[in-house]
Amino acid sequence: MALQRNHHFLKSEQLTFRHEGENKPVFQNVDFSLYPGEAVLLLGPSGCGKSTLAYCLNKLYPEAVDGKLDGAILYKGKMLEEFRPGEINQHIGIVFQDPESQFCMTTVEDELAFGLENMKTPPEEIGNKIDKALELVHLLPYKHAQIHTLSGGQKQKLALACVLSLKPEVLILDEPTANLDPASSYELTSIIRELKKDQSFSLVIIEHKLDDWIDLTDRCLVLNREGEILFNGSTADCFNKYAGELQAEGIWLPSSVKAGLLAKKAGIYKGKNLPLTEGELIAGLVNPNAALQILDNRKIPPPGLKEQIILSVKNLSFNKDGKELLKNISFSVKKGEFVAIAGSNGSGKTTLSRLLAGLYTPSNGDILYHDRHLSLWKEQDLRQRLGYVFQNPEHQFIADTVYDEIAFSLKIRRMPDADIKKMVQTSLQQVHLLQHADMHPFSLSQGQKRRLSVASMLVNEQELLLLDEPTFGQDANTARELMALMEEKIRRGGSVVMITHDMEILHSCADKVIVLSDGEKIYEGLPDDLWKKHEIMKIASLKVPYIEKLRNDIRRYGREGKVCSYMNLTQA
Amino acid sequence: MLDKWKLREVIVLSVLAVVFAVVYLVFVQFGNVLYGMLGLIGYDLIFGIWFIVSIIAAYIIRKPGAAFLSETIAAAIEVMIGNAVGPRLILSGMIQGIGAEAVFAATKWNNYRTWVLIAAGMGSSVTSFIWGYFISGYAAFSPGYVTAMFFVRLISGALLAGLLGKWLSESLAKTGALSSFPIGKEIKRGKSDNGITA
Amino acid sequence: MLLHEFNPSIKALTVVVCVLVLSIFFDPVTPFLTLAVTAAATFIFGRVSFRRWILLFSPFIFMALIYIWSALVFSKAIEGETILWTWGIFTLTEESFQRALSLGMRVLSFTSLSLLFMLTTKPAEFLLSLMQQCRLPPKLAYGIMAGYRFLPLIKEEFDIIRNAHRIRGVPKARTLSEKLAELKRYAVPLLAGAIRKAERTAMAMESKGFTGDRNREFYHKISVSWKDWAFFAFFIAVVLASAYVSWLFGFLQLYNGKL
Ligand SMILES: Nc1ncnc2c1ncn2[C@@H]1O[C@H](COP(=O)(O)OP(=O)(O)OP(=O)(O)O)[C@@H](O)[C@H]1O
Ligand SMILES: Nc1ncnc2c1ncn2[C@@H]1O[C@H](COP(=O)(O)OP(=O)(O)OP(=O)(O)O)[C@@H](O)[C@H]1O
Ligand SMILES: [Mg+2]
Ligand SMILES: [Mg+2]
Repeated sequence: MALQRNHHFLKSEQLTFRHEGENKPVFQNVDFSLYPGEAVLLLGPSGCGKSTLAYCLNKLYPEAVDGKLDGAILYKGKMLEEFRPGEINQHIGIVFQDPESQFCMTTVEDELAFGLENMKTPPEEIGNKIDKALELVHLLPYKHAQIHTLSGGQKQKLALACVLSLKPEVLILDEPTANLDPASSYELTSIIRELKKDQSFSLVIIEHKLDDWIDLTDRCLVLNREGEILFNGSTADCFNKYAGELQAEGIWLPSSVKAGLLAKKAGIYKGKNLPLTEGELIAGLVNPNAALQILDNRKIPPPGLKEQIILSVKNLSFNKDGKELLKNISFSVKKGEFVAIAGSNGSGKTTLSRLLAGLYTPSNGDILYHDRHLSLWKEQDLRQRLGYVFQNPEHQFIADTVYDEIAFSLKIRRMPDADIKKMVQTSLQQVHLLQHADMHPFSLSQGQKRRLSVASMLVNEQELLLLDEPTFGQDANTARELMALMEEKIRRGGSVVMITHDMEILHSCADKVIVLSDGEKIYEGLPDDLWKKHEIMKIASLKVPYIEKLRNDIRRYGREGKVCSYMNLTQA
Repeated sequence: MLDKWKLREVIVLSVLAVVFAVVYLVFVQFGNVLYGMLGLIGYDLIFGIWFIVSIIAAYIIRKPGAAFLSETIAAAIEVMIGNAVGPRLILSGMIQGIGAEAVFAATKWNNYRTWVLIAAGMGSSVTSFIWGYFISGYAAFSPGYVTAMFFVRLISGALLAGLLGKWLSESLAKTGALSSFPIGKEIKRGKSDNGITA
Repeated sequence: MLLHEFNPSIKALTVVVCVLVLSIFFDPVTPFLTLAVTAAATFIFGRVSFRRWILLFSPFIFMALIYIWSALVFSKAIEGETILWTWGIFTLTEESFQRALSLGMRVLSFTSLSLLFMLTTKPAEFLLSLMQQCRLPPKLAYGIMAGYRFLPLIKEEFDIIRNAHRIRGVPKARTLSEKLAELKRYAVPLLAGAIRKAERTAMAMESKGFTGDRNREFYHKISVSWKDWAFFAFFIAVVLASAYVSWLFGFLQLYNGKL
């Protein structure tokens, strides 16, 4: 795609945004322009103001919050202030970060129709356009479904369908894949890639996990922790020249860049530039096979015997509204074990975790915690020993400040105030929220909310922790730190059951993986064995982790002996 | 009138109306019980609760029309979800809303102190009573009884709509949900005039 | 032909006009006849089950009874009326009995008309019709729709808050004062959540290009035809016919506000 550098679409000049009553701006002096047909990655650590910037770019802010926006934004040379509320949004589409707060109608069909009506689409064309948009994201069977019954990932897909049906000239995607399973996430990038080929729109993507996007983007705009521009330039330059700085800011690097950086430090990478793709990485490695050892971060299970079963599930089934959401599931969790649950969007993971937490009652079968039926536990005793983190962080919150949110359960346990204060402080420090202690939990950034909800459970020291996608929306540092906190828990004899779409976590941390598909358990065992079961991987929309893929490709390289084939491989 | 409103305000208004429509419907049952025990005056005892959304909406949104519209919409929703008094209820809602709105209008929508909120609650009591006098035929009752009804309703409007509405709005503001409305900022600055501050 | 198919705005208009016309008359028979026809229409052309109808209707029977009772006990004694029965300070006259009965019947006939509307109209369609036929500003209509959409979610929100409390191990409320504290702990966040949702919905609507523009296209078109006006005319005729029958039998009285 040829970039017409002289005709920018969207341009911001010295943009600075402050929430009312805050001295520190969220972001400051952001100069940024977007050209027709261009795709820009907006990167930055969690809480640096990416979402805020996105909202400012299409005039939702400062209208919707109390804040002050300084500087100017121009759309095709016209100041944004000159547009009526909602008018500019017909040209600049956005998918919100939080899929829950996207929708304004009851059913899927009405939601799509609403946007099309706003665009003054002739009514006779609307039906057709709805079907087309739904087909694109494979939601056609859900056309008449109520939106609030969709799973988290399905909502994200619907949000995308809505915005795509409007055919905007600029499309802003705020972490559109955070809640998607790996296959859907890859599929979504493919959809965007395809669409971009035949309709030329400009794209701004806010993402933490970059692997699927990297070949699609022309340029990167990086914000640092303070919300200032750290880098603005071509994608290749960004990762070749600034990988170190990015890592220091806690920004995720594409897997190949990260592996290249590691290999370079170990002295086994001979390429001049850091590799952006897997092919470049393999080509640059001195001894690919030996390198695998260094690059693999698989946890070595501690020798201690894990025998004591603390949670066991027997023939569990669950029906809701006449639908059989879970079918005959059995498994167990041992003391000191890290169990991961994976599976495609809507496969029933959240439902299962809620049953395990005792929030739903099984239709059939038993759940035993320490050999006693969940229903026989006294509520308070159970909660002291079993923690649960909801998929939607907001569902966790009950207090009015970040501080109280953590202190809440400590107060219930009647701890002395001084101890509470100390514990809350440590806990907030661990998740980088100390400076936000007085804020309302709901006004945190999405990643910050996630961390707060996890921290509010970790502080309780329960022996079993159930977590529903606890790491989504995190930057590299915070994700690593969260995982470290969980490992710490395991080391102290606790157990963790965690739902995740992140294959790297499955690979590096899980002792056991349970895979769900359509409400049924289709796999239980070691992650390493799972990667070999292609059939299951496919049904459950999983993807092999980077290191596994690298291993397979290196093996193939050994067989075929051609470097160029990797280039093709990674582009495929 | 609505052109000056932000979409956000319109929707907050209607959500308040919907929530209180449900509350109103619950109180109809409650009122029926009191009614059965005490006769017509039983209703007047809790009549103020049916004006509360006017007070809350006006106190939060602080724009001309908030009291009137919220009460009207609440009545309309109440009809749609099952108050079989029917479309006539919408008229009652409008009339109650006018009573509160008139008080706020008298202060040019500038003053939201406690006494104004109480007066607004009583304003609704007055208009609703006049309307009830004609439509429900209070004239059939003895004048002493009717006067008693009126005073009970007046007090109920002051307490259950004015004071309770104020208290609820402020509790809400303390949760941070109203931070983008004037009331939220007042609470944040700790300037509310009755000392209920965070 | 089902009642559901008629234009919601005209249906509402019909009910309002019928209620207004009915309030001109003040005798038990006119409202009773209207009630009978309306209820029959609701069952036959509205396919509403009797159970559902009576469930909503019965509180008003109770209310009508209380109305009658209040009107009897606290009625003004007017000179020259036929006394049926006296007990202490209470006097029951034939006229006051008839007035009380009229008042009760009135309530019931209004109720039956409202039920006819309520049970055969979808709120969303009513709002669409108000926008398309009555020029209700879309800003307000979609605002109400967003609010209305929140209704079925109240229970869900309640569950979310309850679950959050359960997970934290908040002890169950036992004493009355604990229960009251619990009520506040639920009610305030519920309302706060509603407002937060409202603000987000506003943002979502604007992000989808909603400007509040009065000229908009509608995917669901709500039309008006001669049938709708025929429906209107039919029900007005029912009320007038009821009054006529009542007159034939010598019951008819006009309401002159004196009571
Ligand atoms: N009402 C508010 N008052 C004060 N600070 C706020 C308010 N709302 C948001 N913030 C802060 O603004 C910052 C930017 O938030 P934003 O959602 O833009 O971050 P982000 O870069 O998108 O992060 P993430 O990757 O976690 O989504 C955060 O530190 C957040 O805590
Ligand atoms: N109230 C409900 N009524 C009917 N179906 C429901 C309801 N709630 C959830 N479902 C359905 O149950 C299935 C499983 O939902 P669940 O939230 O457990 O999926 P999940 O595996 O957690 O997905 P995700 O990865 O997207 O979070 C989905 O197909 C969803 O549509
Ligand atoms: Mg964000
Ligand atoms: Mg889930």
